[in-house]
Amino acid sequence: MKKKLLASLLTVSMVAAMLTGCGGSKEEAPANTTETTEAAGGAESTDAAESTDAADPVANLIAATTDTVALTVWASEEDQTLTTELLEKFKAQYPDVTFDIKLGSESESTAKDTILADVEAAADVFAFADDQINELVAAGALQPVSATYTYDVAGENVAGAVEAATVNGTLYAYPMTADNGYFMFYDASVFTEDDVQSLEKMIEVAGAAGKKVAMDISNGWYIYSFFQGAGYDLTLNDDGVTNSCSWNAAGATDVAQAIIDLCGTGVLVDLGDEEMATAIAEGTVVAAVNGTWRAETASDAWGENYAATKLPTFEVAEEAKQMSSYSGYKLIGVNPYSANVGWSMLLAEYLTNADSQAARFEARGLGPANSTVAASSAVQENPAIAALAAQAAYATPQRVGGNFWTPAETLGQILASGNPDGTDLQTLLDTAVEGITAPVQ
Amino acid sequence: MKKQVRFVLRHVILLLLAVFWLVPIVWLVATSFSGYKGINTAHFFPETWSFDNYLALFLRPDSVVQYKAWFMNTLVIAIFTCIISTIFVLMVAYTMSCLRFKGRKGLMSFGIILNMFPGVLSMIAVYFILKSLGLTNSHVGMIIVYSAASGLGYLIAKGFMDTISISLREAAWLEGASEAKIFWKIILPLSKPIIVYTVISSFLVPWGDFVFAKLILNSGISADWTVAIGLYNMLNKSLINKYFSIFCAGGVVVSIPISILFVIMQKFYVEGITGGSVKG
Repeated sequence: MKKKLLASLLTVSMVAAMLTGCGGSKEEAPANTTETTEAAGGAESTDAAESTDAADPVANLIAATTDTVALTVWASEEDQTLTTELLEKFKAQYPDVTFDIKLGSESESTAKDTILADVEAAADVFAFADDQINELVAAGALQPVSATYTYDVAGENVAGAVEAATVNGTLYAYPMTADNGYFMFYDASVFTEDDVQSLEKMIEVAGAAGKKVAMDISNGWYIYSFFQGAGYDLTLNDDGVTNSCSWNAAGATDVAQAIIDLCGTGVLVDLGDEEMATAIAEGTVVAAVNGTWRAETASDAWGENYAATKLPTFEVAEEAKQMSSYSGYKLIGVNPYSANVGWSMLLAEYLTNADSQAARFEARGLGPANSTVAASSAVQENPAIAALAAQAAYATPQRVGGNFWTPAETLGQILASGNPDGTDLQTLLDTAVEGITAPVQ
Repeated sequence: MKKQVRFVLRHVILLLLAVFWLVPIVWLVATSFSGYKGINTAHFFPETWSFDNYLALFLRPDSVVQYKAWFMNTLVIAIFTCIISTIFVLMVAYTMSCLRFKGRKGLMSFGIILNMFPGVLSMIAVYFILKSLGLTNSHVGMIIVYSAASGLGYLIAKGFMDTISISLREAAWLEGASEAKIFWKIILPLSKPIIVYTVISSFLVPWGDFVFAKLILNSGISADWTVAIGLYNMLNKSLINKYFSIFCAGGVVVSIPISILFVIMQKFYVEGITGGSVKG
């Protein structure tokens, strides 16, 4: 009898605990939503009134804030120190408000996966790479930038960056950097400025010096530069997930043959990012196609001879074609599920304003998206950023569906290893295109 | 002659196996003493040797390496999980082995079948339940997840308790001991080897776990992480060239508590087996 009583008591208490547990979170939810609508509503109404007058909406926001503003911010691991400083300055700017801002680390390249796992649990303000924007918008994980508090996001940043942050005509994010692309690093003691204009010339010079030129050919991101450069398209369809690709069109086999020939010299080597870093540090590689994140490795290895420029041309059927590239941007987004959307937007603006972008360039050498900062002499003198700017004319924003990567990687591997099975090149390209344009299950 | 050939052959095979097995560990330990911070695939042994990676782990925490905090988090979670799940396992094993009640067989098979489902399958459900209870990003939540279902792994402990002579329990009954007293005073002292096994295995689950930890600790605040997530984060492509050898040092350090636990427990393990309980 006693036992039964105990058992039933335990059951009752467990059920009670579960109910109160759920009840608690339910009670919280409506409070959050009202706050959100207030903040968002406030932002919209001020936009309608006057978007140029910055003081008023901010004052309204401060007036509407009574509790502690708790925000979580995600920035990449390398950005932690700088972001901490910027957050302190942000807090100092609004002394009347109590902030509780937590800084978490999440790489821009993986932000989408983590956010989409549970949008509600994701940070209020987060940084991400622009190729993830379509999926984030589709999942409702980005708050549209319908109003601004302190500066004109669309007007002050370079057009490419704003375009990258826009989906179907709506601006969804705040451009932070404009350097997520690739270009050519080289050792100026080996190559002259004329040499680096053509890939064939570079291979000849490097070969004569007994050194290598490195490029991650077995990677869709890089092999794109050959095909796009020769005029064969790869675009994202309107559905936002599948691709259109003309890499198997008439004449494209010449491009494939060109890649095989270039790699066949044994001078152009297919190396992954980490192996490339090792090879540069060891001195076997004297030129490499890579991005700003390798600038430090290259400048450490080559010292004063460190130089960078746009990608070279390469010969397709005896005609020189300029290699294309992907340009990428890093953006800051605001989570629409945030309890403080207004403050999140204000913070996102602060993290991407001209001063913060200049600070980010000084601290980390990242190319600013802000037109004024990008035009400053300090930025122009940075070799890597200048090379990116030179490449920008031939670059396209990265808009590609997930089915592109694996077939392109396979194609790259086969071409880089000289087509060992001797497959007909047209068949090879047809297979790759079939994979790239395959519907998403 | 033939004997000698066989002897040599046997030892060559053993040597090869030993090399395959030890090379990664040797490489990990060697790289952890490397003076170069990134991956160097060109050399097996580092070109410069340094103890700096270990110092960086413990004395120079930065935004990437918060090893002390991770280590403490993991240790606290592992210790609590270890205590709770050991108690669970032993209690369930005792119940199933020594008590007789209606539905015992059915309950046992049900428990075994339930335990066969990989825990990973329930991951998403576990996450949302924890979220509704406000236990995500909390070490308490992790301890609950790790120890809650551990009682289902009672089978080995039950098998051991089945071998303890029933006459011991009957004698205790006659002396007027309750079930609880028999469990704590008679059965447990006789079950040392299986306790040791349970302690070690239940400590290892949270200590090495990555999947659940990554799922539950999703706020990105690195001071809350466990060692597994922290180390994984160092392999991020933008960090790997600065932190790889520190990662290796972290990998070496994380294996130390397990080794200590095992060395201590092994003594009892042997004692438990050879000690014997029932005098003829």
